[in-house]
Amino acid sequence: MEKKNNIELLSQLALVVGGISIFIAVLLLLNYWNISRYDPLDSQALVALVERLSDEPDNDALKLEIRNLDLLARKAYFTSQWQVKTGGFLLLFASIFFVLVLKILYDMKKKIELPEVEEEKGMIDRILSQRWIGAIGILLVIGALLASFASNDYLEKYVAGSSEDGQTKIDESIEVIEITSSESLSDNQGLATGLAEVDSSVAEQNTNVDVANDPSLEGLASETKASIDASNTSNINYPDLNEIKKHHNGFRGPLSQGISFHKNIPIDWDGAGGKNILWKTEVPRAGKSSPVIWANHLFVSGADAQSRWVYCYDRNDGKLLWEHEAKDIEGSPASAPKTTPDTGLAAPTLATDGERVYAIFGTGDILALDMSGTRLWAKNLGVPDNHYGHSSSLLCWEGRLVVQYDTNRSGRLLALDLQNGNPIWDVPRNHKISWASPVLAEIGGKYQIITSADPLVIAHDFESGKELWSVECMMGEVGPSVAFSEGLVYASNEYARMVAIKPGAGSADIVWEYDEYLSEASSPVAVEGLIFLGTSYGVFACFDAKTGEMQWEFEGNSGFYGSPIAVDGKIYVMDMSGTTYIFEISRELKLIGEPALGEKSVVTPAFAEGKIYLRGTKYLYCIGA
Amino acid sequence: MRNKYLRIILLLLSLIITGELTAQNRFPKPEFESGYVQPSPTTPEPRAFAMEYFDVFILIAVLLLISYFIFRKRSRRGILWTSVFSLIYFGFYRNGCICSIGAIQNVTLTLADPNYGMSVVALLFFILPLVFALYTGRTFCAGACPLGAIQDLVVHKPIKLPVALQRGLGMIPYLYLGLAVLYAATGTDFIICRYDPFVGIFRMDAPFTMIVLGIGFLLVGIFVARPYCRFFCPYGVLLNWMSSFSRWHLTITPSECVSCKLCENSCPFDAIDIPDHSIQKKDVSKNVKRFLIFTLLIPIWMALGAWVGHQSHVFLSKGNSQVYLAELLISHPELKSDIDNLDIQAFLASGKSMDVLVEEASLIRNKFRIGSWILGAFIGLVFGIKLLKQFVYRKKEDYEPNKGECLSCGRCMDYCPVES
Repeated sequence: MEKKNNIELLSQLALVVGGISIFIAVLLLLNYWNISRYDPLDSQALVALVERLSDEPDNDALKLEIRNLDLLARKAYFTSQWQVKTGGFLLLFASIFFVLVLKILYDMKKKIELPEVEEEKGMIDRILSQRWIGAIGILLVIGALLASFASNDYLEKYVAGSSEDGQTKIDESIEVIEITSSESLSDNQGLATGLAEVDSSVAEQNTNVDVANDPSLEGLASETKASIDASNTSNINYPDLNEIKKHHNGFRGPLSQGISFHKNIPIDWDGAGGKNILWKTEVPRAGKSSPVIWANHLFVSGADAQSRWVYCYDRNDGKLLWEHEAKDIEGSPASAPKTTPDTGLAAPTLATDGERVYAIFGTGDILALDMSGTRLWAKNLGVPDNHYGHSSSLLCWEGRLVVQYDTNRSGRLLALDLQNGNPIWDVPRNHKISWASPVLAEIGGKYQIITSADPLVIAHDFESGKELWSVECMMGEVGPSVAFSEGLVYASNEYARMVAIKPGAGSADIVWEYDEYLSEASSPVAVEGLIFLGTSYGVFACFDAKTGEMQWEFEGNSGFYGSPIAVDGKIYVMDMSGTTYIFEISRELKLIGEPALGEKSVVTPAFAEGKIYLRGTKYLYCIGA
Repeated sequence: MRNKYLRIILLLLSLIITGELTAQNRFPKPEFESGYVQPSPTTPEPRAFAMEYFDVFILIAVLLLISYFIFRKRSRRGILWTSVFSLIYFGFYRNGCICSIGAIQNVTLTLADPNYGMSVVALLFFILPLVFALYTGRTFCAGACPLGAIQDLVVHKPIKLPVALQRGLGMIPYLYLGLAVLYAATGTDFIICRYDPFVGIFRMDAPFTMIVLGIGFLLVGIFVARPYCRFFCPYGVLLNWMSSFSRWHLTITPSECVSCKLCENSCPFDAIDIPDHSIQKKDVSKNVKRFLIFTLLIPIWMALGAWVGHQSHVFLSKGNSQVYLAELLISHPELKSDIDNLDIQAFLASGKSMDVLVEEASLIRNKFRIGSWILGAFIGLVFGIKLLKQFVYRKKEDYEPNKGECLSCGRCMDYCPVES
């Protein structure tokens, strides 16, 4: 009877204690909800007052008000903290007591169970035990071996004196040349244009190229008066603009302006069905770099986590002429830096001057190869801290290789000597990281390198690296490169704006602004008084170059990451689904064709002699009528 | 019955909430100037010397009390309340530290590194439970260990795991012990402390994942009694060895076993050796042959284990902070400019060269090379012996606790109808 009473009492006690535990838990939950809902740091009143303080720094009454509000928020916060801690302890003790009461209760209720008659199976258990022990042993061995094979022994690969000391060596090898004044450069030996005879056979074949009389050439220099470092380049001839226009030697064509000078480009093809596909070949490794072309050579890069490669194809038949692995480069990281899949390690487009081809990878490795794939020089610029991956393409002009090398920690703009990779000048970029590429434009008779980043569109003198002008107009993660036409620079970025900039002597002015359809990665192109721009959400739009007024808009099937190219009186732009939209360069929307590649793509087309070259996710295509 | 589990689950959920709520960020400093001078951080004083020995006194007292309840009083209830006291004292009051389980690492590091000084208290916490186990069985597990006590309290509906599964899982504590010794001997980490699943509950503060791990063990512990003790605890390995040779040990019956079978299901840890008459004489003779073969195989298992251990040393050594830092800087030299990476910034501020860092890391890796070799051989030995034990047959007529596995909780004593 007494036991029964005790059980009854304990049951009721368990109910009470359990109820209290749940009650405290609910209070704690409510407190937690309240704290998470009201963050004292996000107090709008406090933020507003602090903002006011920046306008009125001497307002003592305002300071007192802020202090009082801040104190109030702190008191509220610490009171909540105290409640949480006290409630936590109460809950813990209540829970322990609850467990003990339950324990005693069930011990009292417990009855000795009658034994079940179980079959004796000692031998079976022993045999099964052997199997289980064996299985655990095998799992351990497999796990250990897999882990060991998946582990890189970096210590083993380390060469004494090659790390921080290697980094120092790299930094030392990149001579930081003091920015020289333009006057001092006047002593440099000027080189006449048109001296390059890179590939005479090609020059003879270029009947489709109308260089001198192309109206879209305005803005591009007719003659180049390069003043190249005489000590480095006095005996070397580089292709002039007329020569470069016969090829497609870099990202977005000559000078990276998005204009190609070829004719009779096909407007209809079908990648999947094979219509007008002259050849199609698989690129061994993935890459987002666009094709570049010089004479019969077509270059792309590719990479995976293990290696980085430059590929050279015969652009006439798609045959792989040679491939070169970017390895054994001093300072190159043992393992590739992390990049996002949509950028990768081979995003920057290569550049070529007809004698050499230049490539840069997301590891910071930069190298020059001759046209037969023999390495001429290579170096590492320091592994970039870039959360997407390095993507700024190279620009090659008049004996110099222009490298925009932005990282999360610092940025540099370098002009390297094409012959040996030594820096001719190296200037810091004191703004945020950018994924855009440098563009060359002749303004006021001199060549300027124009780049875009948050917050500046900035121009540097090609000869000296000296900053010529800058405009604070960009924001966010800038991907599109600038466009240039008729003396105006056009910069755009998603969530920022599109601006037209009129560069002047030592300064520049914004002519107009626009902020509706903006590009994320695709660069705009300016030609014949119009600007063409593709957005990442599939809208392609045309604007008046002088006023920014939208002329027309077109909605494609997919977003645009590849950049539009003006060629043969038309605009060619490929969306991410692989469909190329061909528009007439006109103030009216005139869609000429929308042929499909048959696979996805984010690259920019290249052109040569009546043919278009496209790179899909997997294949490289040559398209001709 | 359903209400019972509902209440337990509610209780455990509320424990999770408690842990999470008490782990909030601190309020940041004010942003504007006020003339207030921030006090410099201070390091808490260590526990008073006398109080440390008081902990030892408490440990001895608890071990003696448990022994008294086992051998004199045969009282399960006495053991239970003692374990509740240990849970409160060693768990919640002492925050789970000092701890005999973690002391394995102190002892190891003392033996491996002559520059490391181990306190006498830590040594006593390591030795005393082992000495008691040598004489009285696993009395430490029964009521002195707070980790065991908290799990013991939630045992409500234990299921009987297949014998073979238990024996297979029984390999894990040896592996954990070996890894803990390896990491402590190389000065890498005290992994037993770092991954103690219950210390977060004792301290009411831990990373969320550790709280979840602790609560997870308790939830599993409702049905699989004391899972950490049986399938993970590295100190349990040592206690098992000692207890196997214990001079006195808890017995189910106070006098002679009458084979009534009432205690057969009383042990939630399946630590009662039940007489088995299914094994025939012919099986035994076959077993002799297998026993000899498997004895000869032990050196092969050890050699295989040593080879696998050697192969794994690169992977295992990556847990060392110095090796990790060196490899990180070799593979990602750009991180030197990462001002948010405190380890790298501390290294750069130290003025130490990369060559020195790599040299030091290589020395540690060499220690791992040797240690992993030994660890592999040890696991091979355990594997061989575990297999061999399956061929050892001892005839039994009485229901007896397995001296090594028995946690001396005393539950079985309540089931025995025999009077002393």
